[in-house]
Amino acid sequence: MEDCDLFDKDPEKLAELVVQLQESSKENPQSVPLQRADLRDAALECGFVELDEDYDILLRDVCIRAAKSQISQTDTDDSRIIQAVEALDDIDKNVNELSERLFEWYGRYFPELEMTGEELARFVSAYGSRTNVPEDHEMSEKASSSMGAELLFADEELLRTFANNICSLYDTRRYIENYINTSMGSVAPNLCEIAGASLGARLMSMAGSLEKLAAFPSSTVQVIGASRALFKHLRSRAPSPKHGIIFNNPVIKNAPWWQRGKLARALAAKISLAARTDFYSGELDPSIKEALDKKLEHIRQANPNPPERKPEAKPQGKGGKRRNRGRKKNKKSGGSN
Amino acid sequence: MPVRELSSGIYELDIDDRKMLATRNMIPGMSVYGERLITEDDTEYRQWDPSRSKLGAMVLKNFDIPLKSDSIVLYLGAASGTTVSHVSDILTDGLVYAVEFSPRTMRDLIQLCDQRPNIIPILADANKPQSYAHIVEKADVIFQDVAQPNQAEIAAINSKYFLEEHGHLMLSIKSRSIDTVASPKKIFKEEVRKLESGFDIEFEVLERKELEPFHEDHLGLVAKMFVDDEE
Repeated sequence: MEDCDLFDKDPEKLAELVVQLQESSKENPQSVPLQRADLRDAALECGFVELDEDYDILLRDVCIRAAKSQISQTDTDDSRIIQAVEALDDIDKNVNELSERLFEWYGRYFPELEMTGEELARFVSAYGSRTNVPEDHEMSEKASSSMGAELLFADEELLRTFANNICSLYDTRRYIENYINTSMGSVAPNLCEIAGASLGARLMSMAGSLEKLAAFPSSTVQVIGASRALFKHLRSRAPSPKHGIIFNNPVIKNAPWWQRGKLARALAAKISLAARTDFYSGELDPSIKEALDKKLEHIRQANPNPPERKPEAKPQGKGGKRRNRGRKKNKKSGGSN
Repeated sequence: MPVRELSSGIYELDIDDRKMLATRNMIPGMSVYGERLITEDDTEYRQWDPSRSKLGAMVLKNFDIPLKSDSIVLYLGAASGTTVSHVSDILTDGLVYAVEFSPRTMRDLIQLCDQRPNIIPILADANKPQSYAHIVEKADVIFQDVAQPNQAEIAAINSKYFLEEHGHLMLSIKSRSIDTVASPKKIFKEEVRKLESGFDIEFEVLERKELEPFHEDHLGLVAKMFVDDEE
């Protein structure tokens, strides 16, 4: 081992090499033989490192650099959309809670005001006490004859600040929504067209990435978001779920109950096709939408009337009321996935 | 306070009549994931919670733990490094190659690696040992805790590449990630059968116990690669 071609002993360059080797071995796993030279021995023999400990120190340094650079490359277009859509859900959850609080709180001072949500927040933020409502405002009459208590200055300031924050959450929500709409159009144009921007983004978020969504069979796409129902079905005699979050697409939401399962299947099939096209080509393919519309129309025409329910028909649709119909045997229904 | 060494580098402390699993803290003063630090006779110990660590549970289940202070360990499924930190404590003169697939959890693991000199982080898929064959050397012990349906296969293929001839494989099998519906007992039996004769290398299973009550539906297992001596 006298003549060795040694690499530059620069950890940064070695880390790049490590990442390159890792990538190339993924494409060509056969190129890595089972019997390999012992790297530690080789490094010592060639004089690349002098001591055993030097090898450990260098290897550790190189691997940490390699892992860090790989991590920094994971911020992809779809991961950004996923963060955005999850932030949207967080905002929704919180803004509802805060709006309810404002409704209760402000209701003490102006109970006749029939506003909720954003409208209420904007109203409180604009006027504060009902005594500030201008005469030409539609609420001015109710404001002057209200049975509400008098709002002290300190409380009014507090309520206004509180309402301002809620308003800014609503603004942020809109901002994020726009962001998702625009980026979905460029990152996943087909998915955006077939499923819609927000549903497409949610599907990516639940799958983990666009790549994973593209790899899912369409039967999985059909029931993403219905894991409780799915596992209940697999464990006991409960009916299989017909749709998960794709229910939020108007195609299914607005359809009569007897068509929903069939439409969900067709929609899911095209959604996975769209996700695959997006992941592997990235070009918008209008033929997917055309084929989907044709298929949907066909289903609607072939099933114009509800089928007759059998006496012991299984529950249809969401069936919240019938949740306990299944056997009581399941020790643990749900909670796991 | 009595301190008893259960296995190399693994201690049981008696604190107010309560037994506590711990390892010697390699970086005194530093708590990795909020665990308790206890000093006794000028040595600092880190509490090791068996319900957060399959390896910790295996210790309390009286497994013969093959880790020595100078072992080379390949750890598959390192996650954010809760257990890896204790392995790092045990291997005072050894090295642990920590393989983790998720960039998100690797972010936490890297913080740990920055503090400890004997952890080599590898962001890779344990299904593809070829992709880290240029980093990892032959290991005395492979510890695997991955929630994948093909756990046995992953163990076999990694052992083929990286396990020393007389090295040990430590495995935590999670039945839920193989089949959510089937009975765990059945799954465990099948996985053990696979390890014993399902692949082109065979294992001799030395010990196997369920990790109740620390982990539900998990089987702990220690095996040795079967070596044909006649050749």
